[in-house]
Amino acid sequence: MIARVRVIAVPAALVVAALLPALIPHPFVLTLATQAMVWALLAASWDLLSGYTGQVSFGHAGFFALGAYAAATATKHADLSPWLGLVFAALVAALVGGLAGFPALRLRGHYLALVTLGLAEIVRLVAQNWLELTGGPFGIHDYRTFPGLPAAPLAHRQARYVIVVAIVAASVVAMRALCERTPAGKAFRAIREDEVLAEMLGIRTTVYKLLAFVVSSAFAGLAGALYAYDVQLVSPSVASAATTSFVIGMAVFGGLGTVWGPVLGALLLFGLSEGLRFIGVVYNLIAVGLVIMIFVVFVPRGLAGGRRTA
Amino acid sequence: MLESLAEFAIQGIVLGGLYALFAVGLTLIFGVLDVINVAHGEFFAIGGYLAFAAIVVLHWPGAAGVAGAAVGTFLLGLGVYPLLLAPLKRRLGARPRGPLYLVLTLGLSTFLQSSLLAAAGGDYLRVPPYAGGVLDLSFTAVSHQRLLVLVVSIVLLGGLFLFLRFHREGLAVRAVAQNPDAAQAMGINLPRVFALTLALGVGLAGAGGALMAPLFNVYPTVGFPLTIKAFAITILGGMGNLAGALVASFLISLAEAFSVMLIPSEWQNAIAFAVMIVMLLLRPSGLLGGGGRR
Repeated sequence: MIARVRVIAVPAALVVAALLPALIPHPFVLTLATQAMVWALLAASWDLLSGYTGQVSFGHAGFFALGAYAAATATKHADLSPWLGLVFAALVAALVGGLAGFPALRLRGHYLALVTLGLAEIVRLVAQNWLELTGGPFGIHDYRTFPGLPAAPLAHRQARYVIVVAIVAASVVAMRALCERTPAGKAFRAIREDEVLAEMLGIRTTVYKLLAFVVSSAFAGLAGALYAYDVQLVSPSVASAATTSFVIGMAVFGGLGTVWGPVLGALLLFGLSEGLRFIGVVYNLIAVGLVIMIFVVFVPRGLAGGRRTA
Repeated sequence: MLESLAEFAIQGIVLGGLYALFAVGLTLIFGVLDVINVAHGEFFAIGGYLAFAAIVVLHWPGAAGVAGAAVGTFLLGLGVYPLLLAPLKRRLGARPRGPLYLVLTLGLSTFLQSSLLAAAGGDYLRVPPYAGGVLDLSFTAVSHQRLLVLVVSIVLLGGLFLFLRFHREGLAVRAVAQNPDAAQAMGINLPRVFALTLALGVGLAGAGGALMAPLFNVYPTVGFPLTIKAFAITILGGMGNLAGALVASFLISLAEAFSVMLIPSEWQNAIAFAVMIVMLLLRPSGLLGGGGRR
């Protein structure tokens, strides 16, 4: 009974809470709320691959940046509609994620983390050095955002927020459904708990690991595209390891292997980190580091109190 | 042409000394604790800051500053195992260790990096060279500072190998690397060896940071690119293989030095990552490894 109430009440409360900022007529709050939602999607996508399937990626900043750059450059240089830009970004990130997934078929644990970290670093170097396409160290800007939004600044921000919330919510629900309601989700969990055993039970671990990679990087790319169209500036620092660290902190904070836990963790940690900016701009990352260390060691289930972590 | 080749070779060898100091420490930690220390570069940065504090602020002589920085980082490193890794190990118990240690040291890296930023600011701090002048080789000139880095790196690495080969504690470290259970059965105190190994590894990084301070300047993120490069080196050499790490350090640094003849210098840093990915695809056990699947 209680479980049933939770199934309905928790998502309902989340949706209401998510839509509240749209009613607050304050551009600063709306800006922060929109960004928090983008982070939530990125953290959820990381969790699908790393928390749920147990394949720890240190390169989600790379997939995120790929999506952001794909969206921004396609809209700026090819005048692609931002709606299609979202799809394009997800496809580009999924393609690279799939390619990165191939080493993952052979590698475990440490090695995978190192490869993905190297991949993100290559994305960052390309972004920094391919001046014609990416604008180099200063980044890419002056491209249009979603068409047909109200012209008044406040209404414009509110509309943009609602768009981002809708896309993020739909994505998170889709990822959660994939993990909880399909055979793929069961396979993901089996791979996390014991890959060798999963293989012996006839689960095609190779296929499902690759699937987790592609889905996770596609949603990370989608988050990047939302970021690009919202912030209107993409610079190489997006691909830095600090981004990955932030995302992992959010997922660990919220609770690994639940998909919605990292969403919660992202909203809270982003809020905490922005709040700390008022004290001093450097303290937010100290907090991120502390949160990661404390939660990994002492609160392994995170705030969501999900299932045992790998 | 020949002269510039020789010049690149010398640059590569000097840089290789630094990479070796850094990567051998990382490899030692991995070999004994089975933990990849993502925060290794931050200890390099701490070494630089300690050298700055000792030499520029307290006006110590250069040699004392470098030694002090190395010892300081070593002492800091002594705390990492008991305070961070041991509690996680206790919680995980007999379950597979998984990549949680990576996430944990990533948290430590972020924490240390931003703490340095908060404590010292983001400015590039300058440390005066420990040795002035240049060595004139007629076709090229090498600054004494660079030679000093190379010589001290070699001395420190030589000391480490002697320690591991002959000293009682060093033998314990190698025993644990080979078989922790058997080592414990023989009465070796595992937590003590783990703490000591971690401190030794990051102490080497701290010494490297102090040595390089006059060449690199000192800022909070100075060590992070080195960490990623050292990952590539340890994979090229074979994870946990000290001799492999040593060889791979020089291979990567020479490849980087010679690469300027073929590709623009801003892509130099991509070489290590490309090598890492190719190695992982073709031969994950490393150049000197057994070739088995990991």
